Amino acid sequence: MSAAKTLHILKQEEFDRLLNWLDPEPEQAGLTYEKIRWRLVAILASRGCTCPEELADETIDRVARRVIDIQDSYVGDQATYFLGVMNNVHHEYLKRPMMPRPPEPDDDVETKERTYLCLEKCLDRLSPNSRQMIEQYYAEDGRAKIDLRKRIAAELGIGLSTLRLRALRIRDKLQTCIDQCLVSEARL
Amino acid sequence: MVEDRNNSSEFSDDTIRRFLLGELSESEQPLFEQQLFTVAGFGARVRMAEIDLADDYAFERLNAGDLALFERRFLVTSKRQQMVKASTALRERFSSNRSAAAWSEKSIFAKRLRYLPGFDRPVWRIAFGVLILLVLFGTVLLVVKKPRLAQQITNKIIPRRPAPRSSPQEVHQPANTSNPEHQTTPAPMPLHDSANPLSESVVLFPSSPDLGKVPTLTLPKGENKLVRLRLTVINQTVPYRAEVLTIDGQLVFSVDWPGGPPFNVDVPASLLKGGEYQIQLSDARGGSKKEVASYYFRVR
Repeated sequence: MSAAKTLHILKQEEFDRLLNWLDPEPEQAGLTYEKIRWRLVAILASRGCTCPEELADETIDRVARRVIDIQDSYVGDQATYFLGVMNNVHHEYLKRPMMPRPPEPDDDVETKERTYLCLEKCLDRLSPNSRQMIEQYYAEDGRAKIDLRKRIAAELGIGLSTLRLRALRIRDKLQTCIDQCLVSEARL
Repeated sequence: MVEDRNNSSEFSDDTIRRFLLGELSESEQPLFEQQLFTVAGFGARVRMAEIDLADDYAFERLNAGDLALFERRFLVTSKRQQMVKASTALRERFSSNRSAAAWSEKSIFAKRLRYLPGFDRPVWRIAFGVLILLVLFGTVLLVVKKPRLAQQITNKIIPRRPAPRSSPQEVHQPANTSNPEHQTTPAPMPLHDSANPLSESVVLFPSSPDLGKVPTLTLPKGENKLVRLRLTVINQTVPYRAEVLTIDGQLVFSVDWPGGPPFNVDVPASLLKGGEYQIQLSDARGGSKKEVASYYFRVR
């Protein structure tokens, strides 16, 4: 367990209070929480942190512990509050002795196999049009890729940037599906 | 995780990419971070750029500088590592499949076919299927009932090739001359059943001049008749020259093959008469004409 995580273990009621502060609707609160966490991780990674996920979690823990004090008086977008707390966490991180970079991810055959299996499952869940789009989008590389994408865009009557956006949206769904699939596979 | 709303951020795609690679300047970084938390839809753009970058890495499209930044600054979370694995899996799943473009062409053709007037209606599909079956049934019936007619049609569609691969050289040899003059004739025309001049065919194996066991063929009657001598050759890949000689060595007919079977010698019957003959097969590579086999046959 990292130094950050040993400081404090978030209590369930604190976490529930945080979610409720983000949004009274639990499902929406969950989505907002995920978005905030993803942004924190992206910013911390961009700032050169070697363990952005841990620092993001520490930020969330701190906010969760403060919610009881601020929830009645806080005005404005809750998300920006996280940004302020994250700056403090990052500042403290920079004062710590440099931590070694976490080990590289394992690229063992089993992990690859699971990813491929999940990819196949998630491809099957796509609509026929989405699947066709992904197949074509990733079919070629280099010059052939550009030509193929121009052809697809012309066929659909859209520009290349719109095609890219559509393909990436499907790819995003695919990624979410693969992530969920891998989690459920790991539980088995 | 990603909003679907349109963004209103002023940052370009290139700036987003530089953010992901940790390359923003000290003045750009705070503003970018602020907008990431406050501007609707901006998070979605960053997320798309994140996926695009992972794809570029998996598809080996990053330059050396970006590659180093990617591994040091981008690939620091388990989610992103998983993203790269998925990109790699996608690459191996689709990019190596070069037939995807062809598949796309087929799908376009099928789509256009579907949009032909009325073709999307089931009744037309059934009618088209019945028509195909009727054509197939009629063809089968024709072949069974009229095999001769079917053969003629086949011959017209796929004309038979002339038997020799190269121009055969016919030799008119006066019977009482010891130094025959070599003459040539044009290559035979493709054979048609209606006027097939080929009336005799015999398979010849390399042998010694033991004339008691050689194959015998009957000389056909008619000026344009051909006798086919089918030579069995072990190495079928080199060019050969075959010379038909009388048993006492007078050249009657010759043919060259640039290479490959069938090694048929179609000799005009008019050049043959009752008696024994030999065929000398020589290797025609580099003009060596090294004799590789001899064949013997008898005509009566």
